Amino acid sequence: MRVAFVLDGAPAELEAGEGEMLVDALRAAGRLSVRETCGIGVCGACAVIVDDEPVSACLMLAAQVDGRSVTTVEGLPDDDPVLQAFTQAHAAQCGWCTPGMVLTVKAMLADDPQIDRERAAEGLGGNLCRCGSYSRILDAVQLAAELTLKED
Amino acid sequence: MRVDPRARGAVRYSVDADMPGQLHAALVRSTVAHGVVRGIDVSGVAPGVTVLLPEDVADLPLYGCQIADQAVLAERPRHAGDVVAAVAAPTPAAARAAARAVVVEVDELPAVFDALDAAREEAPLLHEGLSVSDNDAAYFGIRPVAGTNICHRFRIRHGDVEAGFAAADVVVEGTFRTPAAAHVPMEPHATVARFTEDGRLEVVTGTQTPFNMRMELAAMFGLDEEDVRIVVPPMGGSFGAKTFTRQEGIVAALARKTGRPVKLVLGRSEEFLTLNRHPSIVHVRLGATRTGDLVAKAVTCWADTGAYADCGPGVAQKMGFAAPGPYRIPNCWVDAHAVYTNTPPNGAFRGYGAMQSIWASERTMDLLAARLGTGPLELRRRNLLRDGDAYATGEAMHGTCFEELLDRAAAAVGYEHDPAGKGLCLVMKGMQTPSRASIAIEREGDGYVIRCATTEMGQGARRSLALLAAERLGCRPEQIRVPDPDTDRVPYDTRTTSSRSTFMMAGALAEACEALLEDGRRGHGTIVNDGGLDPDTGQGVASTHWHQAAGAAHLEVDEETGRVRLHRVHCAVYAGRVVNAPGAALQNEGSMTMGLGTALFESVDFNEGQVTNANLSDYNVPTARDAAALTHELVEREGAPIHGLGETALPPVPAAIGNALASLGIELYDLPMTPERVLEAIDRRAAPSPEPDLEARRR
Repeated sequence: MRVAFVLDGAPAELEAGEGEMLVDALRAAGRLSVRETCGIGVCGACAVIVDDEPVSACLMLAAQVDGRSVTTVEGLPDDDPVLQAFTQAHAAQCGWCTPGMVLTVKAMLADDPQIDRERAAEGLGGNLCRCGSYSRILDAVQLAAELTLKED
Repeated sequence: MRVDPRARGAVRYSVDADMPGQLHAALVRSTVAHGVVRGIDVSGVAPGVTVLLPEDVADLPLYGCQIADQAVLAERPRHAGDVVAAVAAPTPAAARAAARAVVVEVDELPAVFDALDAAREEAPLLHEGLSVSDNDAAYFGIRPVAGTNICHRFRIRHGDVEAGFAAADVVVEGTFRTPAAAHVPMEPHATVARFTEDGRLEVVTGTQTPFNMRMELAAMFGLDEEDVRIVVPPMGGSFGAKTFTRQEGIVAALARKTGRPVKLVLGRSEEFLTLNRHPSIVHVRLGATRTGDLVAKAVTCWADTGAYADCGPGVAQKMGFAAPGPYRIPNCWVDAHAVYTNTPPNGAFRGYGAMQSIWASERTMDLLAARLGTGPLELRRRNLLRDGDAYATGEAMHGTCFEELLDRAAAAVGYEHDPAGKGLCLVMKGMQTPSRASIAIEREGDGYVIRCATTEMGQGARRSLALLAAERLGCRPEQIRVPDPDTDRVPYDTRTTSSRSTFMMAGALAEACEALLEDGRRGHGTIVNDGGLDPDTGQGVASTHWHQAAGAAHLEVDEETGRVRLHRVHCAVYAGRVVNAPGAALQNEGSMTMGLGTALFESVDFNEGQVTNANLSDYNVPTARDAAALTHELVEREGAPIHGLGETALPPVPAAIGNALASLGIELYDLPMTPERVLEAIDRRAAPSPEPDLEARRR
């Protein structure tokens, strides 16, 4: 099936095979920041934002994004407050989970711009970091909230 | 600020590596735990798919980094999940479909799943006749016990342990168990390989051991080592999972058969069948005088290495030489064994056997303190190793700071004020000895390039090397490029394990920078640490450099549900000198987070050798909420050498939590400390009876 959608702000098309998952389609389209770890929607490594919602790209069919807008970290500007916050807080080790974390945090802050540490930790329950960088990731959430408020 | 490429998703891992014209592989695995393949039916496989069968690899010798016991494809599968065939197809989906279409018939053989059962004389044998590998990972005296499933036994004989126990006023003992655990690197194992027109083998793969792998693949395919090239992109985590040869031999054999490059990415469930952490059974007997001086310790360790030895002999040995702990004990005997069972192979895992014996030994310290009626803090302070003391291996201790670490950990939880609900743990962990590290640095444009085999897996090795070189050369770290290790271009290094790289490579780099400043264009440096232990007496130099830490936990227990609520777990870790402050802190936090999973919930579960929780819904790893109670500090000393930090803060976490529970009368012997086990221990507290394993042992 031919799928027409918006990818990182630009019109895009892809050919979705039968049963093809969004994670595979996006990787085939060169978005290698979208990564598969668990394949069952519990780890957040493949998280992307579809319209305004964070979704696990390993659970969504590629065909489902027809007519919708998909955002990956590759489409964010350099001055994006969440990208800046993760950079400044040194919130990564191997970096594999970081794009999914960044996108989940973006969606989280859109819902709750003044989120506290405890709620942020709860909100990241579906994003695993096996390197265990959580405390700095939560630092990054707080910093991102501050930077976002400043921006607005 | 320039965005961190990790936040931007710009890091390229092995899963992202492609070679032009590549085919995609999938593996066909045994569904039985032990058997002989009677037939493989490939009639259902679609045309255009290549199937690699045992006869295609019959010319390839057995491999294994310490014992050569593994065939590239198993004609006699020894665990459920053992690879019996492989396919290569134009797409990953076609490969997976083809692998499903291969039908394997296996005649089952008797199987054994528990290390103690496997060590009995009448147990079914997994391997007949063991030959020690000539890989340089088999650097110590490996002692297989002929005619048994024991592929290595290691002993420490220090003093006269029976005389020591005879002189003891108080003796305590216990048997402690730890389960298999999964590394769960977020990036799965991934490899792409080809044979070039001139007959060289090129492999791009995630591994901590590029030179061991080069050696192993060269031996496998009858090539000169120089005709095998291993390139290692950054890994999306490893924690020991990506060490020595895993799927690389199969991928290379497929490339040989198809004449095309072949790529393989393991599925998540396959990760649980590839390499796990050694389950252990550790029995500790510890004796002291009435005044609290340790006089004798006897430890027996059983490390279940699964179907293939991998580096299990080394893990068992480290479990053994970590068992005395950081204490003066005049009489100490240790017997450690690596044993085959019909389960997936177990290998290197952050802590490398030390966690298992530290769990047992540090819990026993608190059993002894309770029996003596002294405090666990006082007992440790009284006996801990100081500079000049002899360790059970006979080596003299140097650069010790156990007392300071213990005091800091204890202070963090207010231990001296009120020890209820609180527990302590002291850790001493060795670094790879002997080993060799070499590095080269060259001018490049207005900066420098470092050529070195140290692999990057999130620990920040490249950043640390760039910081160290910049300091020596008087430039900015950003002027120093550290490309992916490529065995065609980097000098030999033992491997990126045992938290050795920052220390060893820093030494080699200092020499290389000096040589470069003299030469103007390039410099080269090498350092070697010598040592090793006699496997029959455990005497010698276990480690030229000891990693030291103390942990403390403060918790409460919901006695209705058995749920442990952590107020705080703190680790004080000796760093000597910190090179990369954020990286060092992250290594501590990451180790503690992994230790928390080990302490409270992580376990690979089996039913008759079949893994029953091979996915991330049933196998849980810590999340952001779990890590909230963890704190740590790095202890530095003026003029001290760099100490590695990759693993030290993992082992203190389970034992500190276990001892905090013990302070409430809740005595746990087995990991993980699940609510069910806590409730059982609460019931035992209500009706005191001898610990069941001790009864079994006395009979």
